Amino acid sequence: MPDPANNSEILSALKSAMPFQMVPGNLMQEIAAICTQESYEAGEKIYDLGAVADDVFIVAYGSVRHTLSADTDASKHEKTMRSGDVFGWAAVLEGQSVRMAATASIERTLVLRINGKKLIKLFESDPAVGDVVMTRFATLINKEFYVPRSIADQVPGFKQALNASNLQGSEVTTMALTVYRISTWLKSPRPYLMLIGFALFLSFWMLSVEIWKLPRFVDMPGPTEVFTEWFSEDPYYGLSIYTPEYYKHIGISLQRIAFAFFLATGLGVPLGLFLGWSKKFREYIFPLFEVFRPIPVLAWVPLAIIMFSGSETPVIFLTFLASFFATTLNTMLGVESIDESYSRAARCLGASRWQTFVHVVIPGAMPYIFTGLQISIGVAWFSLVAGEMVSGQYGLGYVINTAYMMIEYPKIIIGMITLGVVGYITSAMVRMMGDYLMQWRVRELALGDN
Amino acid sequence: MSVSNFSDKLFSKAAMRGIFAIVVFVLIWEVGARSEQWFGYRFPFIGLVPPPTDVFVSWGGLIADPSYWQSWYMSFLRVFGGFAAAMVIGIPMGLLMAVNKASYGIIFPSFEVLRPIPPLAWVPASIIFWPTQELSIAFVTFLGAFYTIVINVLGGAKSINKQFLQAAQSMGASQWDIFRRIVLPATLPSIVVGSAVGMGITWEVVVAAEMISGGGSSGGGAGGGLGFFIWSSYVGGSYEQIIVGMISIGIAGYISSELLRQLGGLLTPWLKTR
Repeated sequence: MPDPANNSEILSALKSAMPFQMVPGNLMQEIAAICTQESYEAGEKIYDLGAVADDVFIVAYGSVRHTLSADTDASKHEKTMRSGDVFGWAAVLEGQSVRMAATASIERTLVLRINGKKLIKLFESDPAVGDVVMTRFATLINKEFYVPRSIADQVPGFKQALNASNLQGSEVTTMALTVYRISTWLKSPRPYLMLIGFALFLSFWMLSVEIWKLPRFVDMPGPTEVFTEWFSEDPYYGLSIYTPEYYKHIGISLQRIAFAFFLATGLGVPLGLFLGWSKKFREYIFPLFEVFRPIPVLAWVPLAIIMFSGSETPVIFLTFLASFFATTLNTMLGVESIDESYSRAARCLGASRWQTFVHVVIPGAMPYIFTGLQISIGVAWFSLVAGEMVSGQYGLGYVINTAYMMIEYPKIIIGMITLGVVGYITSAMVRMMGDYLMQWRVRELALGDN
Repeated sequence: MSVSNFSDKLFSKAAMRGIFAIVVFVLIWEVGARSEQWFGYRFPFIGLVPPPTDVFVSWGGLIADPSYWQSWYMSFLRVFGGFAAAMVIGIPMGLLMAVNKASYGIIFPSFEVLRPIPPLAWVPASIIFWPTQELSIAFVTFLGAFYTIVINVLGGAKSINKQFLQAAQSMGASQWDIFRRIVLPATLPSIVVGSAVGMGITWEVVVAAEMISGGGSSGGGAGGGLGFFIWSSYVGGSYEQIIVGMISIGIAGYISSELLRQLGGLLTPWLKTR
């Protein structure tokens, strides 16, 4: 029905309207198809109070005076609607057949008319989207018109369909989003440059070790040797992705990391919070902390072996120690970074010391705490490897060191790569955890980028 | 004036509290370490550690020993060697990646793949590769600082406001002027921060590398560095010396960080507002 130029005008006007912003393209086309454009001269009446409510209106350009009837207990009766604003929403309300306001154009105005019933029918075909649009309508009615809540409650929902198809709908959209991201990524030069980088790195390794046999490189295990060993079902040196031994080493390293990391978090975060929170406590404890901090964690190795019996505890102690310093220090800095006036404001409003601590100090320090945990998991792996190399049974550091002693060189590289992968996964997990717990901050950063 | 300031600071409440805590700690350590001797009951963990008085006596004996100072010298040499190499290679690499998109695309993914491998996991591979122990320790030390420096330089250079560059370009600045007047000053703070962090890591790495590789070129003894000093004290059973070694490394690490911080302060005087 509409000619293409007109259609694109309608689409852009629809997109400028808040409730419709997230409607996907095909549904938007269908909505556009039931839209009609209408223009009004300055001062012309659009509809009257009590008229039949059939259509929803969107201002394409110009402005419209919108006057709510005096008997609705709205806080603000008169409002000027401008380009992108939506009015006439009585047409989509359940159990509302007449207009609740009078509207007239202020200047020469172009509006889109959408039949309310048809619109609802369209949304029934895609309840997930329909619900979002309707929720936005409800928000709009509540916020922009200050009418009583009961009116917004008349906005129809599609709840019965929601449970079954909302999940599917959101799955489709996240899938679509991922596909979209992958396709834009593939169109950028980045993946190809990345492949060039990897190819350069691997070919340098291969050429220098296996083909040219350069003087020092010839002793190193080459990539083909490493990868055939790593993926072989019958590995020559007894370590590949098919041997249970391999997973035992990974499992034991992970177990040590997990134990040390959680212990360090459990002790370090509260200690750091109190160090930052209480000046007195800090003045007593922090100097002691500073005396220990410059001593590298790895210098503790022999002392740890003397102090703790067995081969397991010293390794865990070292890993713990490294994580503990990072976590405590960052948490303390986090508390110190909080603007003093937040705590004061909370106290002024009658918060107790404990409430201030829970609602101001802990969330305020969160970004720093998670930075600390990121560092903490990194240094945990760092010292775990050292600990396992020096003492200890099993674990990836142990694999690397024994492989060196037994001259099983490919195993060294397998151990290193595995360490890199597992280490990366654990820090990614910590980062995701942090992003999940601090979504407000992620959004803030995303906004900051614009 | 400055003397009274200093004494004010020294005798301030905060300082007294700190000193008090440290003194209490040393006392607990002494009592704990001597618990078996004094009470006939050995406290767990701390009872196995040599008491501080013994540590200080043993330290007093070592101060006159040239081989102890030789260990200091060796460790410092390795740390500064690896660290200097990391600066020389890392800073240009970070700047290159920040300035040139293609090199960023090529280098950065491989860099990110290698970065999670802890530097110490490189020790055996590096011993195999490098002809001397000295070089292999230096290489691992280099790796420790390298990643941190590159990441910091890259981050610093990338956070430069594009408008500065555009403004300079539109006013006719040459590439060199832009580098000298905008990119370098803007990245210097992150270079300083990255170096300070990197310095901490180099000390960690050097200690472990010395322990694992068994002391370096001269096959242990005086040439081993402080990490090996600790390790050989452990193997030789002189536990007091382990703690002397630990404290020495702490002091050495602190001195190097402080040196770096002072140098960084001189290089970035505009940051000294606080």
